[in-house]
Amino acid sequence: MKLIAITSCSTGIAHTYMAAEALEIAAKDIGWNIKVETQGSVGAKNVLTQEDIEAADAVVIAASTSVNKDRFHGKRLYEVDVNDAIKNGQQVLKDSLQAPIYGGAKQTETIKVEKESNNNFKGIYAHLMTGVSYMIPFVVAGGIMTALSFAFGGINSEGAIAEAFKTIGGTAMGLMWAALGGYVAFSISDRPGLVPGMVAGMLASSSGSGFLGALLGGFIAGYSVLGVKKAFVKLPEKFEGLMPVLIIPVLSCIITGFLMVFVVGKPLTWLNETLTSWLTSMSGASSVVLGVILGAMMAIDLAGPIGKAAYFFGVASLTALTQGQTSPVMAAVMLSGMVPPLAMALSSTVLAKKKYTRDERESGKTAWILGLSFISEGAIPFAVADPIRVLASVTVGSAITGALSMVFNCGLAVPHGGFFVLLIPGATSNVFMMVLALAVGTVVSALLVSLWKKEK
Amino acid sequence: MNIQEYISKDCVTFQLQADKKEAALKEMAELLYQAGKVKNLSLYLKAVEERELEYTTGIGGGIAIPHGKSATVPHACIAFGKSETGITWNSLDEKPVYCVFMLAIPEHEDETHLDMLSTLARKLMHQEVQEALLQANDIDTFYQAIE
Repeated sequence: MKLIAITSCSTGIAHTYMAAEALEIAAKDIGWNIKVETQGSVGAKNVLTQEDIEAADAVVIAASTSVNKDRFHGKRLYEVDVNDAIKNGQQVLKDSLQAPIYGGAKQTETIKVEKESNNNFKGIYAHLMTGVSYMIPFVVAGGIMTALSFAFGGINSEGAIAEAFKTIGGTAMGLMWAALGGYVAFSISDRPGLVPGMVAGMLASSSGSGFLGALLGGFIAGYSVLGVKKAFVKLPEKFEGLMPVLIIPVLSCIITGFLMVFVVGKPLTWLNETLTSWLTSMSGASSVVLGVILGAMMAIDLAGPIGKAAYFFGVASLTALTQGQTSPVMAAVMLSGMVPPLAMALSSTVLAKKKYTRDERESGKTAWILGLSFISEGAIPFAVADPIRVLASVTVGSAITGALSMVFNCGLAVPHGGFFVLLIPGATSNVFMMVLALAVGTVVSALLVSLWKKEK
Repeated sequence: MNIQEYISKDCVTFQLQADKKEAALKEMAELLYQAGKVKNLSLYLKAVEERELEYTTGIGGGIAIPHGKSATVPHACIAFGKSETGITWNSLDEKPVYCVFMLAIPEHEDETHLDMLSTLARKLMHQEVQEALLQANDIDTFYQAIE
């Protein structure tokens, strides 16, 4: 048998090497071949080559930190704690031969989290990316289900099948906040971070503070777990068992939750309310200016408090309509809300493929569908990874679309539905101009972000 | 360069008094502090205790290797302590610990020193080294055991 292994521990001083030695001793005792790469605080040693990986019957990862597994697609991959390798080397080696094949059909890559860089910018970026990579599948599943509910049941999702799709999609979509907050925190403080992080994500969702709130909540949760751990270092031995099941989850949730409710949530909710009343006072202004403002608001925080304010302003404009009328405000709001995901889809799957990771290109494909369904959240994975370039670019395009929609005197009589409502007679006015307004904004944003983004 | 240079005689004791992990950590850290290897005792001890919380350093075979990485350590070094009666440590094999290697690691350390520490860690996994350490009762037999 020919095996390969990676060992790694949090300080990277001792256990990494003890585990490596233990595996080497165990392999020698049972007459197998093994090569062990150590990922300690001096960096990787005895690095596995492509030939080593190809020749190996199985891969063992004995680690208490996140280890990059990209290299091992299609290999039997067995993951254990670093201590298991020290304690039961032979058993670990034998079990690895029964392990499942990693990433069967080239799945999402795990993002490497480097413990050493925990406290600098690179660390923060790694936490962000961990959160995003766990969130994307929720957005995709939820978004596509929601789109299907429109396809089956029209704009109001009528009928049992459409309603079911809507419920399932809404639930999956709603969990993306928990996934984002939870896995940002997980990346910072490992398993104990999940509980407060997920709670923070849901609090952000229910208080309307959107993805910025969920993101912030994830960081607060992660660091509050680290803080609680530090504060209880001196706990007597007999109470140590209480740390993971009682003390850490309860205290970290209290700290994170109170910060979310009383500190993070407040200004964001306030923002939402202030903007709504400001927009109402704007109604008299030139319709083009209003289009620009609404368009920009729809994109700037991707269905966060600002976008929600603009959206509900649009919905409110529908209530004043009589039979047969359409609302120009609602048209501007919906079209500009479709720009961010469509622009990111265009940029990542057509214009500038090379500037995106494989994961991002995959979510770019679904962003097409999400954009056509008026689900602005489709652009969130891109925005979280590169907020300034992405948000600025999509905001410009959305503002253009909002203004054009007003100029072309487009109108919409329903609150949702995306591209699908354009097909419904009577729901829209100037439908071809709507498509034009949408296309112009999308192309402008996509060009901007494609040129601005850095090469990978 | 060899391991002996990292374990100076004044950081080795064959009469550890403690019978519990916490007390043993303190006793060993004081040994390093008395020898001037650690500038701030409580800061260093805190780093070691935090490390202990992550997972046990009792690696089985009666050996433990607590370690702390801290800015209060100027140069990498090791203290060794032996207990006659055994110390409860919550080890991987759930047996008491008789030999304690305490590693003091500076915040920024160059590779040669860290390589030396990892060499020691690797040696401790071998049964013959573990047995020789349990037999060792003075500085010379101790140095022989780890060479």
